[in-house]
Amino acid sequence: MSQDYTRFTLSQRLQHIFMFVPFIILVLTGFPIKFPESEFWNFVMSAAGGIENTRIIHRFAAAVMILDFAFHILYVGYNLIKKRPSLADMHLVPNGRDGKNIIENLKYFMFLSDERPRFHKFSYLEKFDYWAVFWGMFIMAGSGIILWFPVLFSKFLPGIVIQIAYIAHSDEAMLALLAIIIWHFYNVHFNPRIWPANKVWYKGTLSEEEMEHEHPLELEEIKAREEASK
Amino acid sequence: MPATIYRHSILVLLLVMLTALSAPAQQADAENCNLCHSLALLGIATPSKGLRSFEVTANAYSHSTHRNVICRDCHTDINVFPHPQEVARVECYKACHISKPFALTGYSHAEQADAHAISAHGFNSEYSAEKNEAKPDCKYCHSNTFRNVVNDEALQESSQHCVRCHEGEGLAGVILHVSSHSGHRTAEASISVVELCSSCHADQGHMKQFDVNLTQVGGYERHFHGKALKRGLNEVANCMDCHRNHLNLSADDPNSSIHPNNIQQTCSANSYCHSDVSSTFAASAIHSEPTTQNNPILFYVEWGFIILTAGTMALLFAHIFLDFGRWVGDIWLRRKEK
Repeated sequence: MSQDYTRFTLSQRLQHIFMFVPFIILVLTGFPIKFPESEFWNFVMSAAGGIENTRIIHRFAAAVMILDFAFHILYVGYNLIKKRPSLADMHLVPNGRDGKNIIENLKYFMFLSDERPRFHKFSYLEKFDYWAVFWGMFIMAGSGIILWFPVLFSKFLPGIVIQIAYIAHSDEAMLALLAIIIWHFYNVHFNPRIWPANKVWYKGTLSEEEMEHEHPLELEEIKAREEASK
Repeated sequence: MPATIYRHSILVLLLVMLTALSAPAQQADAENCNLCHSLALLGIATPSKGLRSFEVTANAYSHSTHRNVICRDCHTDINVFPHPQEVARVECYKACHISKPFALTGYSHAEQADAHAISAHGFNSEYSAEKNEAKPDCKYCHSNTFRNVVNDEALQESSQHCVRCHEGEGLAGVILHVSSHSGHRTAEASISVVELCSSCHADQGHMKQFDVNLTQVGGYERHFHGKALKRGLNEVANCMDCHRNHLNLSADDPNSSIHPNNIQQTCSANSYCHSDVSSTFAASAIHSEPTTQNNPILFYVEWGFIILTAGTMALLFAHIFLDFGRWVGDIWLRRKEK
């Protein structure tokens, strides 16, 4: 008898949605300024009503994204304090097993082994995604807020910070967009083993087969716990 | 009372527009110059200058900004007939017979010409004649095309822009501006101003002879002002907003709008731009094309991001490539087994 396992709670799924919807809007309203001569981005910007509109939309979407991120920080903090799992139980912090998994996976890719690495709740790929967003949020939101109020920030920060913010906002946006449409989309859409899409972002559950294949260590642990509580 | 002033101003505006629209060529030709100068073949051939046409296309002239200025207002040394062979070039600062609107004083471009003369664009006695010749004179930036205030889209777009410098002058000031400046090439949209300045400043070959920063235009274009302007945000600063229109001075000159002592004032010159600007804000270079010399921190931050992006994407691509390779390899192996 196969059973569904919860991977993401409703709150976690909503946090993801409130992250990627603003992300798409921010890309569509930001890149027309990064590439002011591109016809493609001109088309996108005109469709959104021109630069006067996209500037407002960009800031609104940014506010939603920052609030979502702030909520996530509080959410993680609350869980750590209230429910008292150790940080290790969250399986988010990279550890030695990830290093081992990378080597195992590379061997598997190159036919040096036929054993896929056995992942726990989050593989090193997923941890990379998580911490990439974490770093990206600080760079993008930090520089974005400085560029939103440059005159204000220049009152207590050196002028070079505004210039750095301008470069950082533009360049980190490029990195984020590339990482999402190439790396993240490969892992959740274009990977032929996943195609057309990994539905866990809205379903929230994985089947037993999926668990067996993608997160065998976690499945083992869940089953052991069920045995123990019987 | 303000309502009455407003109503009167509207009337005046209408009058200005009506006179502008009627565009009479007769007044300009009060001395009947076009009796000869409308002839298509009027001209001379000299060994030094080759063929020169003296034809004035009446229709073109009557649609130009200076259509109401009689010929001899500008061609001052043509006093006899037949005209002398060598005549002085037309200089813009000469007083003409046009009265300033509202002021009834004689109009001349002397104020602008004086500012231009001492600006970086003005005559420099240390330069060779050729080098001075390579600088823009009045006519380089100001064409004589008449712009119709009523239905000229570019002009309407730029009228928002006019208010920036003439802020607080009220409607009369705006009318004065429009009626006296509407013929300027620079009365067009902000983007045209940038294009106009770039026609020299982006030309590395042309600018090499002068001791100026060759990356100014590139620096402007990679900064927010330049990018947003290309996308049609007309409220951002164009070249003239910070460098002034006629008194363009080098940053080393204490009178320059971009001298370190004045730049703070320049950024917040009017409420359209940045208000309450700190000196740090004003000092953050707006034309930054960073190099290891002028801005090493920014230079390395920029390269840091390029390396970070290229490095990360290379690793991620490699991972994707290997992962996909294993999938293809598995299919191939299964087929082989069968």
